Amino acid sequence: MFEEASEVFDNMFKSSFPLTFIVFIPAVLILVSPLPAEAAHEFTVYRMQQYDLQGQPYGTRNAILNTEARTVEAEVLSRRCVIMRLVDFSYERYQKALRQSAGAVVIILPKNMSTMPQDIVQQFMELEPEMLATETIVPVYFALEDEELLSIYTQTLTSSSSQGSSSAAEVLIHTATANGFQMVTSGAQSKAVSDWAITSLEGRLAGTGGEDLPTIVLVAHYDSFGVAPWLSYGADSNGSGVSMLLELARLFSRLYTYKRTHAGYNLLFFVSGGGKFNYQGTKRWLEDNLDHTDSSLLQDNVAFVLCLDTLGNGDSLHLHVSKPPKEGTAQYALLKELETVASSQYPEVKFSMVHKKINLADDTLAWEHERFGIRRLPAFTLSHLNSHREVQRSSIMDVRPHVDLRKLSRNTKLIAESLARVIYNLTEKGAPGDLQIFTEQMMQEEQLSSVVDWLTAQPRAAQLVDKDSSVVSTLEYHLGRYLKDVRRHYVKADKRDPEFVFYDQLKQTMNAYRVKPAIFDLLLAFCIAAYLGVIYLAIQHFVVLYSVVRRITTPKTKQH
Amino acid sequence: MTLFHFGNCFALAYFPYFITYKCSGLSEYNAFWRCVQAGATYLFVQLCKMLFLATFFPTWEGGAGVYDFVGEFMKATVDLADLLGLHLVMSRNAGKGEYKIMVAAMGWATAELVMSRYILFLYLSLFTFISFDWKYIQMSFDSNISLVHYIAMAAVVWMFTRYDLPKSFRLPVTVLLGLCVYKAFLMELFVHVFLLGSWTALLVKAVLTGSISLCSLFLFVTLVHSN
Repeated sequence: MFEEASEVFDNMFKSSFPLTFIVFIPAVLILVSPLPAEAAHEFTVYRMQQYDLQGQPYGTRNAILNTEARTVEAEVLSRRCVIMRLVDFSYERYQKALRQSAGAVVIILPKNMSTMPQDIVQQFMELEPEMLATETIVPVYFALEDEELLSIYTQTLTSSSSQGSSSAAEVLIHTATANGFQMVTSGAQSKAVSDWAITSLEGRLAGTGGEDLPTIVLVAHYDSFGVAPWLSYGADSNGSGVSMLLELARLFSRLYTYKRTHAGYNLLFFVSGGGKFNYQGTKRWLEDNLDHTDSSLLQDNVAFVLCLDTLGNGDSLHLHVSKPPKEGTAQYALLKELETVASSQYPEVKFSMVHKKINLADDTLAWEHERFGIRRLPAFTLSHLNSHREVQRSSIMDVRPHVDLRKLSRNTKLIAESLARVIYNLTEKGAPGDLQIFTEQMMQEEQLSSVVDWLTAQPRAAQLVDKDSSVVSTLEYHLGRYLKDVRRHYVKADKRDPEFVFYDQLKQTMNAYRVKPAIFDLLLAFCIAAYLGVIYLAIQHFVVLYSVVRRITTPKTKQH
Repeated sequence: MTLFHFGNCFALAYFPYFITYKCSGLSEYNAFWRCVQAGATYLFVQLCKMLFLATFFPTWEGGAGVYDFVGEFMKATVDLADLLGLHLVMSRNAGKGEYKIMVAAMGWATAELVMSRYILFLYLSLFTFISFDWKYIQMSFDSNISLVHYIAMAAVVWMFTRYDLPKSFRLPVTVLLGLCVYKAFLMELFVHVFLLGSWTALLVKAVLTGSISLCSLFLFVTLVHSN
């Protein structure tokens, strides 16, 4: 059997090889220094949002990936993974990738977002809701840039952009030296998460002076939103609102400890979850308190509900209402106090009221106060943003540098002063506009700063904060320091007609494997065949070498 | 690696062995079975070496960048067992010197190829997806170089054990023997000290093996044809 096989190979090798080829190719193989060994690069990718809200699906549907990498310049994009950098990102390119049914899109974000120029950040913030508005089956991933990823990108760029070019020789050299990359994600296809509980927290400070006291409710939602859940840190929206709420809780709990300053209003603080998903936490809380319990602070005498949303920057304050407050109500009193305090103590702040009717035909509600408005409770939202449609409210670019601590603390003071004037009825008692209730020592800017830092240190998307999360328990602890009766409140989606459905597989590991094109293998086979031909010839003519050596050595021995 | 790439590497590694077997005239002597026996001896010797290393050389606790010269030197000394194994194989085969050398070397080198490369490549191509890397081609080249190295080593061992070895040859033969055994150690030393790239290291290895084998060829021819 062996002899038959060897005869076949013998006939194969009898043909001769051109010498120039034999000389050239091994030299090329040795001189072409391969790139430093990076066989597979593993990195974390964060998937774009995927959720259903009130039956309407949003975001990207797919999660698994096993495709070749290309950049946008390449001509054929279908079933390939398109890699883009944030600086080169534009909506047309994104649409191009989707139109050609690319296998996936990976957007590389710089490690430090604040190094990006403002216009690119702004452009991306405006594109985020558009990306989410269309439901797509192409998985979109975000990855943070590091050196290896950048080198993968540049290599893919050179090979993609030179696809339509030049001569056959260049193409040959190119295939010999090019590196293709295969992007593979680990993990399964995404599926809906069942029984996800959105947690909200409430706490109260009871007023003094009899029963049936009026209640003031202060609300802020703690979750964040962005095009990728794991990257949404929500600094200004709504980390600023939560930190302000905690600071107000601290201030008023201090006032309420002393009999002299204990006012005749109940203060109810509510930190709601699921705010960015149409205020699910607030909605269920209201239902439970108004429909399912016999007595609750919300049922009796509610003076007003103040929602805090995005207050960490800017020099304007807008009070968003769904119905302009009537004279003589507590709502009207707060409005007037806010105007007074703003004009006399903080002239740089432009305060205004924005009237927007609740539009129930819209997919989602605008501000949080509209939930209360629907249940006929007087409510308004305070924000430095003019419109609820501002893209800053739901962007992954909303990171810690977006919050200006001085402005946040100034806004906190302003609101605290106004609330105090309402609670203690100071204007009626004749207190001047520039009377400062809270002195400098009372306001603790460091505490505010540390709360904002802590909040923005982790992503707080509603899909990521479950009831055991550290965010919830830390908030609970904080509230418990100042307030009484701190309670949790859970929202789970209805089984048959869910208001919200979340999906998993939001953070995956992607591997980039170096692959060579098929032509390369053929080329290599060719070179190896040439090399083997040389070896064969060398071994066949080994006798020649032997006799040469013999001839060299025989005169030496003859002399012995 | 893809299956095609496995085919490439396998062809690159294996064909010189095959050609050597055919052209050295061993097939005429029906030496196939003897080569297999030589391979079995290789396996046995490797097993003994590994047991020895595991028992007497605990893992050295040197720092990450420190190259433990003495430790590696001692480990390389264990490779003397290779020489003993080759000698054992050759002494069991009757025949001309060339025949003995070739049989021992072929069997030894083929067993090493199968054990260290063939099984690895097969595993990598069939069961896992590994990125392309030049090191597989380099490993195949390396097995070619090992073939030449083992032929030279067998020749030197044979010469060493000849009773009619002239006194003047004792020294060069011993030196060559030492070089053969410590070649791997020397290679690691070079790579570490001069920080050679992988292709350059391969080139240096080829040159080193080439020079060792040329010297042993010279000595062999002189010895065989001196009488």
